Amino acid sequence: MKTKGKLLLWVLTCFSILSSCVEEVDFNQFENITANPTYEASILYLEAPEDVINLVSGTSVFSQNFNFDAFSSDVFANRVIDGEIIYVIENTTSKELEITVEFLDEADTVLDTEVFTIDPEPTAIIQREIAYGAAGRSIEIIKSLSTIRVVAENLGDNSSISNLENPIITLKSSGKFRVELVK
Amino acid sequence: MKFSKILSLVGLWLCVSMHGQNKQLLYDFTDIPQSIMINPGATVDFKWYSGIPALSGLSFQAGSSGVSAYDLFANDGLDINDKIRDRLLNGMTTRDELSGTYQLELFNIGFRSQDPNVFYSFGIYHEGDAIGYWFEDYARLAIDGNINQLNRRFDLGDLKTRGEMMNVFHFGVNKTVNRKLTVGTRAKIYASIFDFNSTRNKGFFVTRPGQNNLLSSTFNADMQWRTSGINAIKDANSEETLGNTIFKRGFFGGNLGIGVDLGFSYKFNDQTIFTGSLLDVGFIYHSNDVENYTLNGDVTTEGVEVILPDALLNPNRDFWQDLVDDIEEIVPFENNFNSYVAFRPTKLNASLRYNWGEQALRAADCDCGPNVTRSNRATKYVNGVGGQLYMINRPRGPQTALTAFYMRRFGNIMALKATYTVDKFSYSNIGLGVNLQAGPINLYFLADNLLAYQNLADSRYLSFQLGLNIISWGKK
Repeated sequence: MKTKGKLLLWVLTCFSILSSCVEEVDFNQFENITANPTYEASILYLEAPEDVINLVSGTSVFSQNFNFDAFSSDVFANRVIDGEIIYVIENTTSKELEITVEFLDEADTVLDTEVFTIDPEPTAIIQREIAYGAAGRSIEIIKSLSTIRVVAENLGDNSSISNLENPIITLKSSGKFRVELVK
Repeated sequence: MKFSKILSLVGLWLCVSMHGQNKQLLYDFTDIPQSIMINPGATVDFKWYSGIPALSGLSFQAGSSGVSAYDLFANDGLDINDKIRDRLLNGMTTRDELSGTYQLELFNIGFRSQDPNVFYSFGIYHEGDAIGYWFEDYARLAIDGNINQLNRRFDLGDLKTRGEMMNVFHFGVNKTVNRKLTVGTRAKIYASIFDFNSTRNKGFFVTRPGQNNLLSSTFNADMQWRTSGINAIKDANSEETLGNTIFKRGFFGGNLGIGVDLGFSYKFNDQTIFTGSLLDVGFIYHSNDVENYTLNGDVTTEGVEVILPDALLNPNRDFWQDLVDDIEEIVPFENNFNSYVAFRPTKLNASLRYNWGEQALRAADCDCGPNVTRSNRATKYVNGVGGQLYMINRPRGPQTALTAFYMRRFGNIMALKATYTVDKFSYSNIGLGVNLQAGPINLYFLADNLLAYQNLADSRYLSFQLGLNIISWGKK
């Protein structure tokens, strides 16, 4: 009887071990894993008070190139899919102003231009979203961006002063871009 | 498939199937010599034993409290990315872990002193251990990004991991104090081959509405990644001397530490026994081939800021580079070579066992070896039932497992132990251990979570232990 019991235990043990199995899995699905997160952050903030604008003779208030290598760095340029840049321009001065934002590549070739003509206070706010990628302008503009040029033109006079407190013109901008994290 | 992807896949499979260091089948299974490795105060009755080198004790445990390979890679027609989102991103928390351990005995010998109440054991085993908690916020940033997450703090403390490989040189003493009490201790020298740990990270990344610009990004970090031996391993790998380097570092060429195991067994009466052990109370001092990395600081940026008229003072100023330099200065990523101390993951075991039934035959049935002098084999009950407690100290606090077990002996040739274990990984962990004794030859095989063998890919926890020993109880 004891011998039979031992034999039964051996059979059960062996059966348990041999009956192990693996249901169908497909590790090739690993190839289909994608991760395309979207990141957003501010890009450029520019502020000019009205008294500085009044100090400038002529219409050209400001013109400057800003080095901006964030988008052309390999870690970003090789992975960006699409995205958009958001501009918000607010003018509390007494003058109509024109802001031109240009994107330049390393050879200073103008890749993209955005012009904002903004009324004087009190209702002067412009918000504009510029898409890049399949649904907008070429994403290559972003990938090649090396310099941002901002030009501000005074379309008004050089003497008036807004009644608002601390009159200024501000350019705010942020970007949100989808990147291919897992290729 | 690229090699790196295959490696990642294997890593993922290993990771999602890794588990802790619980050896509930071996614990208090005193027919097996290796039981005194997890309770130096176990009631062993051997005259001597010798493990077969490299075969005397091999254990591997792997598990996950989160997902299984099957959860992600089942051929079920679902999109893998949907499964990752549902089961990883939305299904796991930072309490979920991926961890595992393995041990391989290089040699293990035990012998009874001239004082029959004292039993010595010593040897060397090789051990690897690693744990990583689910880095939830890092994964969300990697998969979703920070879009539409204004004011959400992504916790940098979600990175919590540690791992090590070492050889352990040990010497243990087991003493029967009286008929009721047996105590034991084991001194250990740890020879670390490599170590990494990053367990005390703090900080966050948050995007808020900006004060000047549209968005404000804040990065607050107090992070540290400590390593020892990793550079030596990397160099050896590139120079194709990996084996030599691991061997050398494992035999006192790396970093050293000390530790102790403590244990006891107490018989309330002939049939009821209470045991406990505390393992790896020790530390390793890392001073050789140490390299640590730190990221400390707090910075908030709203992008490039140009404010007139100040900006006109230096028309050649590079605002972007200034911003990058400022951030790198405020939150520097640095390395140092400072020595550090790493404490071992201490384990606690306890059990209460009740024995009954006819008593197994004594040494009269034992076909012992020719060199024995006197039988030491104790009388043992055929049946035993009881419960066990296991705790291990982990980076996010202690983990606990409860086990109910039943033991059955079949003469002197076979003993079985069946366990049911409940822990954070599984509520259906049934294990079975088989110990076979053919004369002086001892063979054991212990396997856990047997129900998972119905579908190995769906298992969140697998473990096995096996060993081959030569045992003598003395002359009959």
